[in-house]
Amino acid sequence: MPGKTKPESHVIKFTNCRIVKGDKLIEQDVWIDSTSGKILRDQEAFYGLHLSPDEVIDLGGRILAPGLIDCQLNGAQGFDFSVPQASKEEYDEGLRLVNKGLARTGVTSYLPTLVSSTAEVYHKVLPSLGPSGSKHTPEDGAESLGAHVEGPFLCPARNGVHKKEVLRSATTPDDLAACYGRENFYGNSKTIRLITAAPEVGNMLHTIPHIVSQDIIYSVGHSDATYEQALEATHQGATMITHLFNAMRPFYHRNPGIFGLLGHQSDHPIRPYYGIIADGIHLHPTSIRIAYNAHPDGLVLVTDAMKLCGLPDGVYDWTNGERIIKTGARLTLEGSDKIAGSSATLIECVNNFRRWSGASTAQALNAATAVPARLLGLQGVKGCLDSGADADLLVLSDEDDPYSGRTLTVNQVWKRGSKIYDADKDAGL
Amino acid sequence: MRLIIRQRPEQAAQYIADYLVRRISAFGPTAERPFVLGLPTGSSPLPIYRALIAAYKQGRISFKHVVTFNMDEYVGLRRDHPESYHSFMYTNFFGHVNIDPKNVNILDGNAPNLTEECRRYEEKIMTLGGIELFLGGVGSDGHIAFNEPGSSLSSRTRIKTLTYETIVANARFFNNNLDAVPHMALTVGVQTIMEAKEVVIIATGTSKAPAIQQAIEGGVSHLCTLSCLQLHPRSMVVVDDDATMELKVKTVKYFAGVERTMLQEAPSLAIITSCASGKTKLPKGSEDAI
Repeated sequence: MPGKTKPESHVIKFTNCRIVKGDKLIEQDVWIDSTSGKILRDQEAFYGLHLSPDEVIDLGGRILAPGLIDCQLNGAQGFDFSVPQASKEEYDEGLRLVNKGLARTGVTSYLPTLVSSTAEVYHKVLPSLGPSGSKHTPEDGAESLGAHVEGPFLCPARNGVHKKEVLRSATTPDDLAACYGRENFYGNSKTIRLITAAPEVGNMLHTIPHIVSQDIIYSVGHSDATYEQALEATHQGATMITHLFNAMRPFYHRNPGIFGLLGHQSDHPIRPYYGIIADGIHLHPTSIRIAYNAHPDGLVLVTDAMKLCGLPDGVYDWTNGERIIKTGARLTLEGSDKIAGSSATLIECVNNFRRWSGASTAQALNAATAVPARLLGLQGVKGCLDSGADADLLVLSDEDDPYSGRTLTVNQVWKRGSKIYDADKDAGL
Repeated sequence: MRLIIRQRPEQAAQYIADYLVRRISAFGPTAERPFVLGLPTGSSPLPIYRALIAAYKQGRISFKHVVTFNMDEYVGLRRDHPESYHSFMYTNFFGHVNIDPKNVNILDGNAPNLTEECRRYEEKIMTLGGIELFLGGVGSDGHIAFNEPGSSLSSRTRIKTLTYETIVANARFFNNNLDAVPHMALTVGVQTIMEAKEVVIIATGTSKAPAIQQAIEGGVSHLCTLSCLQLHPRSMVVVDDDATMELKVKTVKYFAGVERTMLQEAPSLAIITSCASGKTKLPKGSEDAI
């Protein structure tokens, strides 16, 4: 803005765009204040502040969606959150590159996820993974909403690719604090947002209320829990299931296991949210459809992606001295056929989910925006286009692909009111 | 008075929108000499707004130097309430065109002193040299703005209690809850509208037919405030076929004939551009030629 040194606000109006409203896409303009990084209540800006847009962006009928939220992501750009570097500075630099790269895929906030590790690893890396909060600038890219510690209080029989040697059980809350580091678990310095643990291991079931009282989400996962045990976990405060169907007792008609929690009636208060990896490898499309039909409001799309996402096929070092074989999107642990995470992006999962489930475009986007925001208690801040929410936005085209059918593609990414990625301009970078 | 009849409501709306586009363009508004436009809310004007937005998007019209005054607003309803007239105007019109928010005037139904708010509104209209064109709708009882039957024909902007009929009609916007409908409104007066240099009214649908009949064929009466237009030197009522249902065939034929003759004999008068100079006085003849 020439002539003005420091504008009080820079109002941008997105017009000719479709936005998510409930289960539908509707045509509606969206106003943001690029200076505050928030979505504006446009009508009040007009009447109350006499603001008119400084900039009008015509999206030509494309979709304007909230930035995607990934609740389970182990790494990217060749960087693994669970691997400490020589120094904290080196680790933070790797994290910085992940954040920048991740944002370009449409993920504007996420829970950096740690696989089961030794206490030493948690103490080293967790301090870097806490919520970015207000110090986060748009240029930083994707923002951490707090760490997801997947383990190490898991069932050894449902370890997936988590190394059995580091799994442990807890008898008191102090065991958790000691493992993760007290400052990562309690108070203002808390860096953990979500814990995946098996309720039947040790005394975990009765530790859940303590975890939840720290404003940490407890998710049932890597667990051999029976239906009864899983139900008891929800009574104790569990509100999520980690990657449903994977690393848990399979559905059996005489005891439906953890999956049975989705069978409650729709108005049941304790039906948990559940993570779904819609990468085409972890789950059969029909399994996803069954879960979605049972509990549409709880489905949270996650990638469970790890650092190899985007790298060429081959054999790669993994945590705890093991190695992973990457064949296309499929990742397996060397010497076994166990699936070791995914290398799909979240927008690919949204596309897959839309194709397989019969969900509308809005519903598919909600599963990676509004629903995880609700799980994380961030409704009105993330995952929506309500006034006052952070202006984390995606411009998406929705075009027919000759091979895969209708496909959403990330054209632009806006973080806190600033455009940080534009496919037209940044192509080939 | 002119009466323009179109077959369908959207054609009636399109006629008015086209008329406004020509009228505003011919006026050639500037920052110093803006076009002052009075605006209504309601379902009948909605297609007019849609047509105006389309015209704006096609580059046929700019609202940059248009100052607007809305007719009315509920008392005590939050400005951001979805049924407030602020919301209606923003959602259906202002949010889509290049109007300067500083040029938008709507009565504040939450002002601490409502009487003062009304006085200030009238004063602001005066300061801007009066309203150039007042666009309006009409209630099924013939009310114009919220000037319900019985309103003084020399009334000015003031607080009005809504009639039961209007409250019932508006209840559909408030979950059919009569108690949720505000019972009072601020509204411009009949005289405020009469002082506009030109008044254009839209009325569509059979429910408006009795009001149109009374306003056009009846005498001037405060029981049908729209009838005041009979005394206005330059007014135009645009209706669809349904709204003419109660009129005499003779009346309909006469006005249809007038329009036909105008188009054949004096097309320039039919598209009144004689005001392009912005002078308040119309050239002799144009107002009573019809």
